Amino acid sequence: MKKTVSIIMALTLMALGTVSFSRVASAEEVKMIGVIQKIDLAAGGKSATATLKDNKSGKSVAISITDDLTLDKFKDHRIVEGDEIRCKYETEGGKNHSKLFRKTAGC
Amino acid sequence: MRTKAIIAVISLSTLAAVAVSAAEHPGKEYIEKNGYKGPETCETCHPDTARKFLDTVHWKHASRVTNVDNLDPKQEYGMKNRIYTMCNGNDIVNNLKEIPRNAEGKTKFSGCNTCHPGNHLSDVGSSGKEAEKAIDCLVCHSSSYDFRQRKPSKDEQGRVVMGQDRSTKAALSITKPTVKNCMVCHESAGGGVLVKRGFAFNADTDAHAAKGMTCVDCHKTKDHKIPTGFDPNNWANDGVHLSCVSCHTEKPHKDEAYNRHTARIACQTCHIPRTGGAVAKDFTKWEKGSDGFYEPTTLKKEANETVPVYAWYNKTVSNTPHFIGPKGSRKDKSSKIYPFKIFMGKAFYNQKDGKLLSMDFAPPMATGDTLAGVASAAKTLGIKDYKPVPGWQTIYFGSNHLVTKSKALNCVNCHGVNGVLNFKALGYSDKEISKLTNPEIYFGFMIKKQQEEW
Ligand code: HEC
Ligand code: HEC
Ligand code: HEC
Ligand code: HEC
Ligand code: HEC
Ligand code: HEC
Ligand code: HEC
Ligand code: HEC
Repeated sequence: MKKTVSIIMALTLMALGTVSFSRVASAEEVKMIGVIQKIDLAAGGKSATATLKDNKSGKSVAISITDDLTLDKFKDHRIVEGDEIRCKYETEGGKNHSKLFRKTAGC
Repeated sequence: MRTKAIIAVISLSTLAAVAVSAAEHPGKEYIEKNGYKGPETCETCHPDTARKFLDTVHWKHASRVTNVDNLDPKQEYGMKNRIYTMCNGNDIVNNLKEIPRNAEGKTKFSGCNTCHPGNHLSDVGSSGKEAEKAIDCLVCHSSSYDFRQRKPSKDEQGRVVMGQDRSTKAALSITKPTVKNCMVCHESAGGGVLVKRGFAFNADTDAHAAKGMTCVDCHKTKDHKIPTGFDPNNWANDGVHLSCVSCHTEKPHKDEAYNRHTARIACQTCHIPRTGGAVAKDFTKWEKGSDGFYEPTTLKKEANETVPVYAWYNKTVSNTPHFIGPKGSRKDKSSKIYPFKIFMGKAFYNQKDGKLLSMDFAPPMATGDTLAGVASAAKTLGIKDYKPVPGWQTIYFGSNHLVTKSKALNCVNCHGVNGVLNFKALGYSDKEISKLTNPEIYFGFMIKKQQEEW
């Protein structure tokens, strides 16, 4: 199920060009840069919740992460608490679902 | 025919690799018993590996370069010493160090040579027994590396040391390098995740990844000499090269209509219709982040977000202070049309000799003062007589991943009236162009495809 959705997303993305991507998605996409305060890996390692402190508002935002690449980076500690993250998420069913979760870094 | 066989073998072996990935490294028992003490442990069974490794681009960040204009054939070039505007410095002027305190009193470690499998005491290009012992074999070979260990710190003598995971646990899960092992450094090249090339390697973005292939299935490596291609922007090489036709043939399609194009059009042109990563940076003005540190101003794009530019390329490179890009032409029969990402970077040039200056990032990172960065780099390089003036540099980036079959360019993408190729700029006459953009040349083919598909 999850896989089919992401394949469809990828196809739409390629077909329409990424500009119209956010319009295809139902929920609105929020962009945020913030520092990780806490990472909670779920048992089984299939999902995680990262709490970020939004640089702009100073508020704590809990983001739910399910993509394997990011989960792997939590597991081997390529991403750790204290890292600054550039993140896009969508709110659905009271949860903030991560669409992009990257360490910021300069040259 | 021979190439077909190669592909069959690879297909089989990638499948096999998936099937038996649990196969254990024969050295495991020994390491369990004796612990991991660094490369010398591996050398019990893989003798002379470390010494040979010191002679590779991954250790030296440099090599002789023979296909680029205006270089000294006796010198070696690479990240160690080049100066360009994707990252306006190099390992020498941006040697890993603690940067000055910023306005909030904070400091951090920064330097280009963090993407090096040494410990910084044995740094880029070092040699001898100490260097051999310092190699981080596990960053490329362990599937359970703990990246908390791989960060800079100061030792008792105040020297900056790059940490490594040398635990026996990490050494117990030896594999040939996975995509992740390579991406530890390659994903973040150019100043952050996917900044340089937007080169995401997963099933959604690359047809080979979708088939389960890894970096080293293509970049087949002997004695740690990793083959590369001819990206006009990336010069250092281990003297070994790969290309699409290392595995495929020049005529891989059922349809002759596509095969007839491969003499003048590179595979990448049709099969990599998008690129990604940063398209422009300004090193003369840095942006202040919320942590109080500054970063070069960067216009970012995701994988597949950028439309490439097409140009003739004969694998030799024009290299001037304001331009790094492909040489070639329609007349030159060794040239083919390739796709490129054009990147433009603004940085300081020396008005006295017109050359691009480099920048030590430590001062601007702390204070935003980019000229202080230029001054520090000039001092390191012994440049005394200079006057910095801002200017732009254009760089062509080769586009060699993000391969697709389903979105490959078809006849209309190129021969349509508003096609992706600028035939005029590519050297075709008006008369030729009116023929090349007339449906006559593709109509029959596309109608047949349409009938097959519906
Ligand atoms: C006790 C002997 C022994 C030790 C110690 C040892 N190896 Fe091996 N290793 C082998 C043998 C045997 C093979 C299989 C034959 C070959 O490829 O040379 C192998 C294969 C490999 C391969 C190829 C794996 C593949 O799937 O293709 C790699 C990579 C490797 N070793 C790395 C290392 C590293 C890194 C170390 C040190 C941490 C190490 N080895 C220590 C014996 C050892
Ligand atoms: C995260 C790892 C990483 C860091 C940090 C890094 N680089 Fe690189 N750099 C790479 C990789 C990987 C390549 C080659 C692959 C490519 O071009 O995609 C490269 C290539 C280069 C090249 C081209 C070398 C050649 O052979 O022509 C230059 C120049 C360069 N980097 C400069 C810098 C500078 C300056 C910095 C620091 C300000 C820096 N890099 C920091 C990973 C890194
Ligand atoms: C920059 C990444 C990198 C580092 C660092 C590295 N290796 Fe490798 N190693 C590779 C690649 C790539 C291969 C080839 C894998 C393939 O083609 O199957 C390889 C292959 C091997 C093999 C298999 C036999 C061979 O030579 O092809 C051994 C053994 C090995 N490495 C040992 C080591 C040891 C010991 C060290 C540390 C001294 C080390 N490696 C450091 C990337 C690396
Ligand atoms: C420790 C960081 C690091 C790791 C890990 C790493 N690379 Fe690199 N790689 C670099 C840097 C830095 C350069 C650019 C050096 C230069 O051009 O001066 C580079 C250059 C290259 C090049 C072009 C030059 C050449 O040697 O042909 C290729 C191809 C390459 N890497 C492939 C790989 C593959 C495949 C892996 C995984 C087996 C890998 N790299 C792992 C840092 C790394
Ligand atoms: C399907 C085969 C294939 C796979 C898989 C692959 N590469 Fe490549 N790569 C190539 C080819 C072919 C070239 C050079 C093409 C040319 O210049 O003509 C290349 C070039 C490069 C270069 C030189 C700079 C550039 O982009 O042109 C680097 C660095 C590199 N690859 C790293 C990697 C890494 C890291 C991975 C895994 C994440 C990887 N490659 C996976 C085929 C592959
Ligand atoms: C190391 C060998 C190797 C290299 C290098 C290589 N390929 Fe492939 N390629 C393969 C294999 C293996 C397959 C999968 C064949 C299969 O399973 O049907 C494949 C499949 C493909 C496909 C079909 C994908 C699909 O979805 O059916 C295309 C298109 C393709 N390659 C293009 C390229 C291009 C373009 C390059 C150069 C950038 C390249 N290949 C480099 C080995 C290679
Ligand atoms: C003029 C554009 C064009 C060029 C140049 C081109 N291809 Fe293709 N290729 C395509 C298209 C379009 C398809 C998909 C055809 C289809 O689905 O019927 C394709 C399909 C393929 C396939 C899958 C074949 C199959 O039957 O499934 C492979 C492999 C491939 N190309 C490899 C290459 C290689 C290697 C090169 C360079 C030697 C190359 N192509 C050059 C347009 C091109
Ligand atoms: C990547 C863009 C591209 C694609 C896709 C493409 N072509 Fe072409 N085609 C060209 C270019 C460029 C030339 C001129 C090549 C030369 O100079 O030899 C050309 C030449 C031709 C010619 C020869 C015209 C003459 O000089 O008489 C024919 C016929 C043709 N293409 C048909 C097709 C058909 C049919 C398809 C789809 C199956 C197709 N092309 C796909 C770029 C493309």
